[in-house]
Formats: sequence, structure tokens, C-alpha cells
Amino acid sequence: MTPSVRDPREVRRSFREFADSGDEQLRNQLVEDHLGLAHQLARRFTNRGEPYDDLVQVAAMALVKSVDRFDPDRGVEFSTFATRTIIGELKRHFRDKGWAIRAPRRIQELYLAVRPAIEALTQELGRPPTVVEIAASVGTTEESVIEALEAGQRYRTASIDAPDRQEGSIALRLGEVDAGYAGMDDRMLLALSMADLPEREQTIIKLRFVDGLTQSEIAAQVGLSQMHVSRLLAASLDQLREAFIRDP
Amino acid sequence: MSGSDDGGSEVRTREPVELSIPVHSDLIVLARLTAATVASRAGFDVEEVDDLRLAVDELCVLVSDAGSSGCLRLTFIATDDAVEVRCSLDGAETVDGRGSEEHGERELSLRILDALVDEHGEEFDGGQRRGWLRKRSVRHGRS
Repeated sequence: MTPSVRDPREVRRSFREFADSGDEQLRNQLVEDHLGLAHQLARRFTNRGEPYDDLVQVAAMALVKSVDRFDPDRGVEFSTFATRTIIGELKRHFRDKGWAIRAPRRIQELYLAVRPAIEALTQELGRPPTVVEIAASVGTTEESVIEALEAGQRYRTASIDAPDRQEGSIALRLGEVDAGYAGMDDRMLLALSMADLPEREQTIIKLRFVDGLTQSEIAAQVGLSQMHVSRLLAASLDQLREAFIRDP
Repeated sequence: MSGSDDGGSEVRTREPVELSIPVHSDLIVLARLTAATVASRAGFDVEEVDDLRLAVDELCVLVSDAGSSGCLRLTFIATDDAVEVRCSLDGAETVDGRGSEEHGERELSLRILDALVDEHGEEFDGGQRRGWLRKRSVRHGRS
């Protein structure tokens, strides 16, 4: 499966046209053309306890955000820009939700302390903290923080193993589907499922995943508490996830 | 592994840190942990450490290639504002030919490296495959 088979110059032309026109159909086409990339990157984060479908959802949302934010005149290929954005969202997803498989209890507990410390320090310092700053904040060593982060952000490693010559490597066997069909299905299903959500929840999903606002920023914009926004987001994502599971 | 062990972020490990591991998924964690430690000592922030960790994973996959055996030799070098990682494969029985799927995976690995690091490259020397990457820290000068 190739992430995008289109000529990069043609892709750039399409993005210029989209930037000028804001054409919704062209936007959808650009998303659809690159859904293969979202699937591939999601697959890189499998084997870590999160369902593949959930990861595809996160990656697809990040792809939509990439399409909306890409500036074709900045001299970076869209695929590079989108890859960076999608990996960033997948990392954030694991930091927020993911869980280390088989991690010792000591590391699990430390990770539970490290995760909010990163968020708090980022707010306080106005930049991501260093490992040393996190260690000082939670009262542990630099090495322990690195170990906890490794457990929490455990990355794909299965594909490095020698593949079964008959079947191909493990990574290649996972969820391999034709990108075009999968992309179209995903987009249609996502659009249909989104339409089932109440208008307020649709707005919150868009603000979070398309506009990239934090939960606090969304709360201020829609006039709810951050906790309420968090609950509505979780419930909406559960509903969307169920739609994907019902009709994969 | 060689290098500073005093744990302070101010100490930048200028001496190369070397690591040699058999090609096996369970052991690539050692490469990621080493990268994270070297980057942390070099003053990288947690996002940059995470990016470098993922990039080192991809570099190991690229150099080892699916199906290779042998030993991965990694060198980690911290400079004033960057961490450089070099990786080579020793004693490998390479696999003849690659299917289109492996090419696709390889292309994706390169794309991920494009997104995560400032520079990267590959070379072949005497039948040995080598790869390298360099990631700079935006925090340079602040720590």
C-alpha cells in the first residue's frame, strides 16, 4: 500500500487550488487521497493495547487537520507535514489514553504521575518540559522518567523481526486493505456517524480535531466547563468508535 | 555503553556512546532508551526525546531490513545543539530481493524520518548497510 500515488507537484497544485477556493469537494478528495498514509501510520502504533480502528480514527482526524492547515508555499511536502501531524496526534493519544502492556506496577504508577506532570509543566513553562524537569516535578530520577515514557509510548517493533517467508512480516499482515476502498469507506462512515451526533457534539469534535483547540479553549468557546467538554468528547468518540465497530 | 553518568542535564556527553544489539524486536528498546537518555542529557525537551526515540526505531528497521540477522551497532553522539545516531548492521545474512510491500514499508520509514528528524541518510559500503540521522533541539541555548 503506497501512501499517495499522486505526483507531488500535482498534490501541491491541488492544495493551492484548495487554498484559493476552499472547495469542500477538493478538500474531501485531498483527504481521501492520503487516507492510506493515515492507515499506515496507525499500523505503526499497533501491538500496544489500543484497537487498530481507534488508531485509524485518530490518524484520520489528524489527516483532516493537516489538509486544512497545510501551506503549499512553505516548501515542505504535504506527506511530510501530514506525517508529522499524524504522529504527533498518535503520540498524544497514547499519552492521554494508551497503556503500557506488561509494564511493571512501579512503572505504571510512575507513568500515571508523569503524564499530568508533562501537561502541567507545558502550561507553566510555555514549552514542553525536559526529562530532568519532569523528574524533579514528580520526585524521581531522570532514568525512571525515561523508563516510564518508554513504557507509555511503546512503539512498534514487531516488524523488525524476521518475517515468515510465506506470509510476510507481521507488520505487513496487519490490517492490510486497499487504501482507496478503505479510505472511501472510512470517510463515508465517519461522515454518517458524525451526522448522528447532536450539533453541539459535532462542533466540539470539529474544534478539537480539526481546529486543534485544547479542551479548555473549547470550554471557553462553547460556554461549558472543561470537565463537561471532556465527558462530551469521550462520549462522542465512543459513539463514533461503536459505529466503526458495528460496520468496520 | 560509555559516557557521563552523573545524571545532570547540564552535562553534555561529547564522547560517543556505543551500543551493539542483536537484531530482535525485544532488544530495540535498548536503542530507544539509549537515544532518550543521550537526548535528555543534551537538554532535549520531552517531545524531541519522543521524536528521536521513534526515529531511532525507524532507523533500526531500515538498516536491519525485514528478515536480516546479525547485530546492530549504534553510535550516539551529542553535539552542542543536536544528537546524531549512526547505525550499521554487522554479520548479517541479507535477504535476496524485496517485494513491493517491503518497498512500501521502507518508503514509509523514510517518510517518518523526514518528519521526525532534521537530516538522515543511508549508504552502502562493502556490502554493509549503514544509516544515520541527526536531530536538533530547539531548546539549544536555553538549557
